[in-house]
Amino acid sequence: MSKEKITLCEDLADIMPPEYHELVATATYGKEDRGWKDIGNSKELIEQHSLCAGCPESIAFRYILASLPNPEDTVFVGSTGCTSLVFPHVAVQNIHSLFGNQNAIASGLKRTLKCRFPDVEKDVVVLAGDGATVDIGLDMTMQSWFRQEKFTTICFDNELYANTGGQESGLMQKGFVAKMAPAGKTFDKVRLPEIAREAGCHYVALLTVSKPNRVERAIRNAVYIARELGPTYVQLYTPCILEIGKQSMEGLDEMKDAESIGGRFVMKEYMTDEAKKMIEDREAEEKAKRKAAKGKKPVSA
Amino acid sequence: MSQYQVKPGPEAFLPPSAASMGIVLPDPGECHIEGRIAPEEEGYEYAARKLLGAKVPTLFPGPLVLWKWNEKAAKKAAAIRALSEAIPARLIPMADYRPKYPKIDPEAEINPNHPNLTIWHNKIDVCIFIGVHCHQANLALKIIRGGTDCFTMAMCAQAGHEDACLSFRDIGVESIMKLMDAVNKLKKEGVKSQAVPFKQISMNRKGRVD
Amino acid sequence: MNKQVDSPKDKIIRSQHVKLGTKNKKDQTFTDVNTMFYDTEMTPNFLTGSEVIRAAIKIASVGTSVAYPITPQSEAAALIGELYSEGYLDEYFRGESEFAVMGQCAGASFAGHRVFTTTAGPGTLRAMENFPMWAGSRLPIQVCVTMRGINSPLSIQPDTLEAHFLLESGMLMWHAETAQDLFDFILKGFIVAEQPDVHLPIATMCDGFFVTHTKDTVLLPPDDICLTPYDPYKSPVPCMDMECPPVRMMRDPFIMKSNYISYMTHASWQQEIRAAMERSRKHTIPLLDGLIDTHDLDREILIVSSGTAVSQGREAIRLLEEEGIKVGLVKIKTIRPFPHEEVKEATKNAKHIFVPEFNMAGWLAREIKAIVPDNHRVVAGPHVAGGMTMPSEVIVEEIKKYLGMKVSSISNRGS
Repeated sequence: MSKEKITLCEDLADIMPPEYHELVATATYGKEDRGWKDIGNSKELIEQHSLCAGCPESIAFRYILASLPNPEDTVFVGSTGCTSLVFPHVAVQNIHSLFGNQNAIASGLKRTLKCRFPDVEKDVVVLAGDGATVDIGLDMTMQSWFRQEKFTTICFDNELYANTGGQESGLMQKGFVAKMAPAGKTFDKVRLPEIAREAGCHYVALLTVSKPNRVERAIRNAVYIARELGPTYVQLYTPCILEIGKQSMEGLDEMKDAESIGGRFVMKEYMTDEAKKMIEDREAEEKAKRKAAKGKKPVSA
Repeated sequence: MSQYQVKPGPEAFLPPSAASMGIVLPDPGECHIEGRIAPEEEGYEYAARKLLGAKVPTLFPGPLVLWKWNEKAAKKAAAIRALSEAIPARLIPMADYRPKYPKIDPEAEINPNHPNLTIWHNKIDVCIFIGVHCHQANLALKIIRGGTDCFTMAMCAQAGHEDACLSFRDIGVESIMKLMDAVNKLKKEGVKSQAVPFKQISMNRKGRVD
Repeated sequence: MNKQVDSPKDKIIRSQHVKLGTKNKKDQTFTDVNTMFYDTEMTPNFLTGSEVIRAAIKIASVGTSVAYPITPQSEAAALIGELYSEGYLDEYFRGESEFAVMGQCAGASFAGHRVFTTTAGPGTLRAMENFPMWAGSRLPIQVCVTMRGINSPLSIQPDTLEAHFLLESGMLMWHAETAQDLFDFILKGFIVAEQPDVHLPIATMCDGFFVTHTKDTVLLPPDDICLTPYDPYKSPVPCMDMECPPVRMMRDPFIMKSNYISYMTHASWQQEIRAAMERSRKHTIPLLDGLIDTHDLDREILIVSSGTAVSQGREAIRLLEEEGIKVGLVKIKTIRPFPHEEVKEATKNAKHIFVPEFNMAGWLAREIKAIVPDNHRVVAGPHVAGGMTMPSEVIVEEIKKYLGMKVSSISNRGS
């Protein structure tokens, strides 16, 4: 939908609560250079959420929503978990259907949107937890990559089942003691980024959400590459502070520790050569545009 | 067994859907009044009388008419505004369908998951849903019938709503104008609005604006 | 009921967003459903059930179909692939399992396409979690279920037990007796399922092999006409394409807080799905010429059944007639919504009601027993399963035995 269509009917606008006026007036739909820096001086696309205080997932959500290149033409697919407590309040249409089938839903969704709107770039972004992506939904996650479905898969990796109360998941570290792993997890954290690369993803990124500029770049790369070339995968460490015994204010430190040298989440990025060229071309183009804009003097002050 | 009637409640802890009680929707050109199929024209007059006779007549515009996603929506919004002024009636929006409870001012907004709160808080005795997606409207209409004594109406652009006490189908801008004409005609005939004086609610981030 | 809905002359409301008489990319003319079903000259064709599914989909203006191999629907699913390669569908691919396929169908439907798929037996059960989700999300997807055995030990043979598992899924369920039924049900199924007041998924069911793999004469309209397409903006819920309000929209938000408001909303939501199913009667009755077919209801003995068991019942009636035993017939076309009133009325004078079925559970007999007065009149049987045929003589035998007449068991034949 063009930005112009996300607007209120004048004759009834006065009765609408302020959050909707703000959405129309200052949300960054249609803003070409939108990004994480808009947070704080524009209306965010997430209105409220019921996640725990200090949950890194909530900040991840905000960065991602701020970074999407085209929220006015994006549809999200979620899955059961903590993320689905946020999605009702996100001003981008989104689907929750079942637990684990998110990449199947996204496959049908993306293909139909492509058929119905051949001239509009409709982005589909999957955003699900690690249980949904790697355990119960792994088949559908990987099959969508094999089929080269043109959408982005984002996994919020909190290394356990958080919404159900802290059970072992495939992305949990070996040895961690959790519900359903009473003697400690007996096998290694599943290496999904490597699997994603082998399964045909054109762009793979593994990082924490401690640095918003990194998140922004990963999300934009993933969405652009998915549009043109094929599947992309972004795995974000969003620790469940509740289940690993941290305080509300300790999420950021936990992520910083995890991404420091030798940690589980040292940032990794992989691109196919084709994807790399595409991103380089795009960046060169954007640079040229910025330069040209700088050169143009405003007509009046 | 006698024919089920779609009357204002409070009907039951969990009232049945009217369709399950054998209420069939009207065909084009018809409306239904408490489950009875009637010509559309009869419905306009009946609805107009209900609105004028109410203490707190209220229009609940939904997303399809609140958001200007096409020109038709804007025209419908203008017609709804005009109708609300003709009666006069409160306008309370159903801006979207996400569960908002408890973070909602139920007097200023209505939500399909707990529409009864808005009816109770405002003591609404007659209302019209318009521009609400059918599924969400049906949920709200049935919940209202379950727990309140509000007479519900629905102006539906599709096939109508048997869970409302009165519903029109296939409505467009002209249908809203027809209802307004019926209101004005009754007023000319001397029927006076029984509405208690009110001001439309308007809000900012701090709350209501007086 | 506040309104009579039994007139077969009622006009069916079609989608209005394409102009009648204009053509699609395959040069097929968009045609009013009323014209297609009531005013078009039909020509006989000798086809298998799978080929009939292909013929129906060719003129159904389907957007997406997703396929997965499982006997006995594999051939039909592959034939739809041929239609796709010829340009009759916008999208078609093979999914990785029935669970995934039904998710992919849901995705396509959320995005606004008319969607068709096929499944069978264990595949239906693997997909099962999706069906109540489809219904709850008001997705008018059509799944053709070519029924076969589901339980261990494995069998690919016809058995209608799987229908039992679908009864409370929230889907409309129509049970075809013949290939002709299957053709009609597929096309008419889209029309009913997509009505804005219904907007539910539909399972068009047939008995595997008996219908899918046998050839039969089927009357077909010309294939240069087609149904008008699905209009996603007539949906009772927002289409997920970011083209309609509200943009702040989750399909569908969780309703699971521990409070009365949440319980009430969920209960009302479930009621609304059932209400939508009730509303489908009004559209189905004129299109299918009633939810049941009847013959000779004045007789004391009736056979009441659905699917190919009805065909066997017809032959049994002929055999019994030769012996002077007069039997009437009720064919049930829609399992959901179940034709309560029609069956009650049709069986009101019967002394004995026999319900032959191709499954061990006898689910149809249970449905009938639950609604007719004096339900001791209902004889649940005969039953066959696991791929067994149901010779008409078995039905004859059951009825005669029940009447206290002498029978020679057909299992003794050949000795």
